[in-house]
Amino acid sequence: MKRAIIYSSIMALILFSCGKDFSVIEDLSGEKYSLIDQDEKEVYFPGFVKGQTVVAGYIFTNCPDICPLTTNNMRLIQERLKKDEVTNVQFVSISFDPENDSPEVLKKFAEIRNLDLSNWTFLTGAKPVIDKLMKHIGVVAVPGDSTVFPSGKVTYYYVHTDRIQLIDGEGRIRKNYPGSSINIDEIIEDIKSL
Amino acid sequence: MKMKYYLCFLLVISSVITAQQNKTQATKIEVKDTWIRTSAQGSNSALFFEVVNNSDNPDTLLSAESNLAEVVEVHETFKRENDMMGMRKVNFVVIPPKSTVKFKPRDLHVMLIKLKKDLKQNEKCDATLLFKGAGKIKLNAVVRDMQMMMNK
Repeated sequence: MKRAIIYSSIMALILFSCGKDFSVIEDLSGEKYSLIDQDEKEVYFPGFVKGQTVVAGYIFTNCPDICPLTTNNMRLIQERLKKDEVTNVQFVSISFDPENDSPEVLKKFAEIRNLDLSNWTFLTGAKPVIDKLMKHIGVVAVPGDSTVFPSGKVTYYYVHTDRIQLIDGEGRIRKNYPGSSINIDEIIEDIKSL
Repeated sequence: MKMKYYLCFLLVISSVITAQQNKTQATKIEVKDTWIRTSAQGSNSALFFEVVNNSDNPDTLLSAESNLAEVVEVHETFKRENDMMGMRKVNFVVIPPKSTVKFKPRDLHVMLIKLKKDLKQNEKCDATLLFKGAGKIKLNAVVRDMQMMMNK
C-alpha cells in the first residue's frame, strides 16, 4: 500500500511538472473586430484565423527599438516552426497607432524587412475599434515623449505593453510573453503542446 | 614700453597654459561597431554603436547629426512596471574614463526621425557624433536587420 502511494505520488509529480498552464487569459471567440490588412482587405479578428494557433504581436511602426525587436522575434518563431515542420500557425501584427499606420505603411514595414507574409498578416483599423481591441487583450499604449519637427509638427512615441500573445484556434488568449525579449524555445514548445 | 612687453609675455604664457589644459582634457574617443536598423522612408530608425573612451578623462556625447532623417536625437529605451516599454530623449551621455558605453537595442540609441529614404540592408550611411572633448567624430554605419546582427 505504502509503495503504491509513493508510486502514485511520483507519477502525479511527473505529470504535473510536464503539464502546461494554458488557462484562458481572455476569450475573444465571441468578438468580431473589423480590421484592415496590409493589402487593404477587411478581415474580422479573430475569426479570420479561426482554427489555427495564432502568434500575435502589437506594434507601432514609428517605434525604432522595441517593436522592430518584437517583429524580428516573430520572424524567428516563424522560421523555427517552418524548420520543425509545424503547420497551422498564423502570425498577426496589430498596430495600436492606426492614425499613422495605414495599410500602406504596414506593407512597407513588412517589405523592407523581407518578412514572409504567407502566414503573417499586418492589421490596422479605425481608432475606436483598435482601442477597444487593445483594452480587451490587455495591451496598453499611451502617448509619451514627443519630437517637434522644424515645421512645428509634433510626433508622439507610445509607452506601451511589450507583448506577444499565444491565441488558440478558438480565439482564446492562452499565454503572454514579453515581445522584445521573448524566449523563442519557450513559445515554440508552447505552440507544439497547445 | 616695459609694461607692454610684460603684458605680451603674460598673454603668451596664458595661451600656452590654456592650450596645455585643453590637450590634457581632450579624450581619446573611439566609436566602433556602428550599424543602423533597416527602416522605410518616412518612418524612424535607430543608430547603434559602442563608444570607447581610452583616456583618463570623461567625455560627453552632446548630439548627433545625419542627413538621413529630418530630426536626429539621442534617445533611450526605458522599462516600466507591467511590461511597459517607452522611449525618451536624453540631452547628453557621459562616457566615463577608461570605459565603453554601448548604444544598443533596448537601451541608448541615436534616433533617426522621419527618414528621407529607405534604409535597405547592407547600405552604408554617414552620421556624425559631437563630443564635448573629442569634438566631431564621423561614422559610416552599415544598415542591418536584427537577423543579420544576431548571426554576426
